[in-house]
Amino acid sequence: MLLSLTAPLSAVASRPEVTATSATQALIASLGRPAPARTAFAEARFMHLLDRPLVVCGELAWLGGNRLQRRVEHPRAETATIADGEVTMQRAGRRAHSFSLKRAPQLQVLLDSFVALLSGDAARLDQAFEIRRRGDAAQWTLVLVPRDAGVAGSVASIEIDGRGKQSRCMRMQEADGDLAVDLLGPLAARMPARPTREALLALCRGGS
Amino acid sequence: MSARGRLLLLTGWLLVLAGLGLLVAQRLQVSTDLRSFMPAPTTPDQRLLMEQVGDGPGSRLLLLTIAARCTPRQDHATQGLSPVTPCAPLPANQRDAMLASLSRGLAAALRNDRRYSQVLDGSFDLAALDSSLLPYRYLLSPTLDTQPLDEAYLADQLQQRLDDLSSPAAGLLKGLLPRDPTLEVLKLAQRWAPPRSPETRDGVWFSKRNEALLLVQTVAPGFDPDAQRQAIGGIRRAYRALPGSALAQLGFSGPGYFSVVAAAQTRHQADWIGRISSVGFIALLLAAYRSLGSLLLSALPIASAALAGIAALTLAFPQVHGITLAFGFTLLGVVQEYPIRVLSHRRAGEDALHSVRALWPSLLTAIASACIAYLAFYASGVNGLKQLAVFTIVGLLAAGFSTRYLLPRLLPARVRDVADMRWLALARDVVDRLPRPRWLPALVASAIVLMLILAPGPFWQNNLAALTPLPAPLLQRDARLREALGAPDVRYLLILEASTAQGVLTLSERLQPAVDALVARHAVDALELPSRYLPSVARQRARQRKLPEQAALQRALHEALRGLPFRPGLFQQFLDDVRTARSLPPLTPQRYAQTPLGQRLAAMLVRRDGHWLGLATVSGVHDVAALQALGADSGGTVRLLDLKAASESLVAAYRMRILEALLAATVLLVLTITFALRSLRRVWHVLAPMTLATFLVLAAERMAGIEISLFHLVALILAGGLGLHYALFFERDTGDPAEQRRTLHATLVCVLSALLVFGMLGWAGIPVLRAIGLTVSLGVAFHFCLSILMAPHAHVAED
Repeated sequence: MLLSLTAPLSAVASRPEVTATSATQALIASLGRPAPARTAFAEARFMHLLDRPLVVCGELAWLGGNRLQRRVEHPRAETATIADGEVTMQRAGRRAHSFSLKRAPQLQVLLDSFVALLSGDAARLDQAFEIRRRGDAAQWTLVLVPRDAGVAGSVASIEIDGRGKQSRCMRMQEADGDLAVDLLGPLAARMPARPTREALLALCRGGS
Repeated sequence: MSARGRLLLLTGWLLVLAGLGLLVAQRLQVSTDLRSFMPAPTTPDQRLLMEQVGDGPGSRLLLLTIAARCTPRQDHATQGLSPVTPCAPLPANQRDAMLASLSRGLAAALRNDRRYSQVLDGSFDLAALDSSLLPYRYLLSPTLDTQPLDEAYLADQLQQRLDDLSSPAAGLLKGLLPRDPTLEVLKLAQRWAPPRSPETRDGVWFSKRNEALLLVQTVAPGFDPDAQRQAIGGIRRAYRALPGSALAQLGFSGPGYFSVVAAAQTRHQADWIGRISSVGFIALLLAAYRSLGSLLLSALPIASAALAGIAALTLAFPQVHGITLAFGFTLLGVVQEYPIRVLSHRRAGEDALHSVRALWPSLLTAIASACIAYLAFYASGVNGLKQLAVFTIVGLLAAGFSTRYLLPRLLPARVRDVADMRWLALARDVVDRLPRPRWLPALVASAIVLMLILAPGPFWQNNLAALTPLPAPLLQRDARLREALGAPDVRYLLILEASTAQGVLTLSERLQPAVDALVARHAVDALELPSRYLPSVARQRARQRKLPEQAALQRALHEALRGLPFRPGLFQQFLDDVRTARSLPPLTPQRYAQTPLGQRLAAMLVRRDGHWLGLATVSGVHDVAALQALGADSGGTVRLLDLKAASESLVAAYRMRILEALLAATVLLVLTITFALRSLRRVWHVLAPMTLATFLVLAAERMAGIEISLFHLVALILAGGLGLHYALFFERDTGDPAEQRRTLHATLVCVLSALLVFGMLGWAGIPVLRAIGLTVSLGVAFHFCLSILMAPHAHVAED
């Protein structure tokens, strides 16, 4: 287990990183909440199709088990539910439509990481991702790299920043260069009107 | 004849048989396609049926399931805790993932195989419209019928795409967006998906019982069991080649699979019964003649009959239908009598040739009259019956003449005279003392009439499928899968007729609103018209005219993009596609045929004598009258074809031809027998019991509630042939009690062997075998009894 993780480590040896040790496991375990767990979120998506980011905000909820709900309130109401390998999307005034989770690796990643984090399930997280940790208990960053080659083809990595027992920020780096940054909990209220990658990174890592 | 001569003759005979066997093996082409067996169709629906039997899109559809097997629990096995590895179901998500990957793998393998024209597994398949055809999406999709590509529409669409990009579905659409901002490709994919789709898990269809579901349309017709067996074998092989296929089980349903099951079932049971009755038959003959040599030799005329018959068929016809062969072998059952007669009539110390000569006039009368009667079948003009006549006549002649001229020269000289057996003398005594009341024929005749009048239920069985019924669980499974997949009904087909393919497509488009209304009020669950896959050229041109010019589209797009964050120049591919689409030649069925969807269309758009037919598949029919009303004022260009009704009318027509041939055969038989016997009284003694017994079988079966099928008729003809022998030989008055005893012996052996072989068939589970078995057994019994009771009293010559 440890051996397999040391290989990717050597590539980034310049940074003070720690492998999925007992400390990391303890950190992940400490993040667990009882279901249903809800958190406000604000998301900015930087896409190569667009010349400025898309911003939405709403609430993310773990409903227990493998069920996750993403409710967008602004700018247009939309609810996406992931349950039993299916994604169902419902927009105001439109018929709901659903598709398989298999067709949306980004969602699979979201589900795996989110459910594992909210349930404090380090083993599950470790099954889906290579886990690296930066920082200390006060301010940390978990770097998750999907183990599944197919998933890794579309999602390069997920980084989660937090303080203490609180996740504050989630950044999903897609393989084609697109980036989604989710500000979580209290931080969600601080999404700038015109976000930039740098500003958000600073917000996630930054003080206060 | 010297031993050397006998050996030479035997070798020669065997060599000829081997030669015939070789000829048959090389040339015989057995067709299992129902069409080559049926008579020429007369009504338009029958003609369509003949073409569509098995060719209709619905009947070529195979329904496939992939279900998880339970897997041995690994942990126990490795730890050696329990010697028996218990069976544990996989967790639901792992199971679904495994089944889905098998389903996708199988679909991918079959899509590359020319034997299958369509493979659907529920996966989202953009490849259905290959990329060279992508600009055609604007001509194929109905969007432009109601919606111009103007600024307002584009602005609305682009705003929606923006919402899509911030939704979880973003990853799905990102690649598509620059080329297809209005998502026409998705609209087409939706339009071409089956009308009602089952639940999708992991991207493929699943049933409520957690099986992955697939639909495969074969190129081979549905009711050709051999072609279907190959198609199904191909699917099985493709499945087994998939990694992990052993963890799940592949299941089939659908008309093609059923035809394979029915054929295999019938063959299996016939083989099984055949083996048992052959053993009994051999034991019976050994007991009767106590000579293995005689027994083996007497098999030669029978083998000659079969081989010569088939050889003649292969020379005269390019293809022989399986049912013709089955009928033919049934009718050839009569030739087993020839050697039996010879063996029973041999006298101690007498040369076999001499015994045969005495017997020959009666035997020849029987053979000749049967052959002449079968000529009527040849004259019927129906291909299947012609083949039957050639097979039977050649077989009878081969068996008859080899029994007369070859067999006696080979038979061993020393034999036991059966006339010396004590029990036989007693039996003959009993038979001679039986009363032969003159009123018996009248009594039997009135009983027959009464029974036929009182018999319950319909007289004829027109449903050929009822003769090889499928196990109920298979049918229930088919109904369940058909319901889940929304697969089309096999019974109904909506026919659209026009002089050109375009005419059919136009008609289909005109019909669409009425069809939508029918679906809306649940008269039918779904009705799939050919224009669903390809609009008419006129409709495509109309859509083409609505596509904006490049400059106008650019302007509209520019305005629509105002205030939206899309990167400048992002939609160049979209602009290019629209420009291309404006000048494309409309898509025709011929050009379309190269693509997977084109093959689907080809199954729905067929050419027939200069006319074009559209075959619209129907699923879940609730209101047949409403469907029929669709064609009410179309002047016959639109009509509902009930394949079941059409096939039944075809069977009825076939039966009429058999009955006509039978009538002619009867007349020929009467004339031949009259000519041979030259006495009306003798003719009466031969033909009256035969006729009465035949009708008595019919009446008895009808009283038992049995509906008479083609197979019953053929079995009746065989029984009639056997009955003719009994009557002829009983009527043959030699005035010699020993010879009369030999006649009784021969007839008893014949009756017992026929009862043994066909009585066994009568116990079969499959109605078609039971029909033949029961009819022949009853026939043999009635013919035997009546020909004894109605035979003239023997002149008791003084010994």
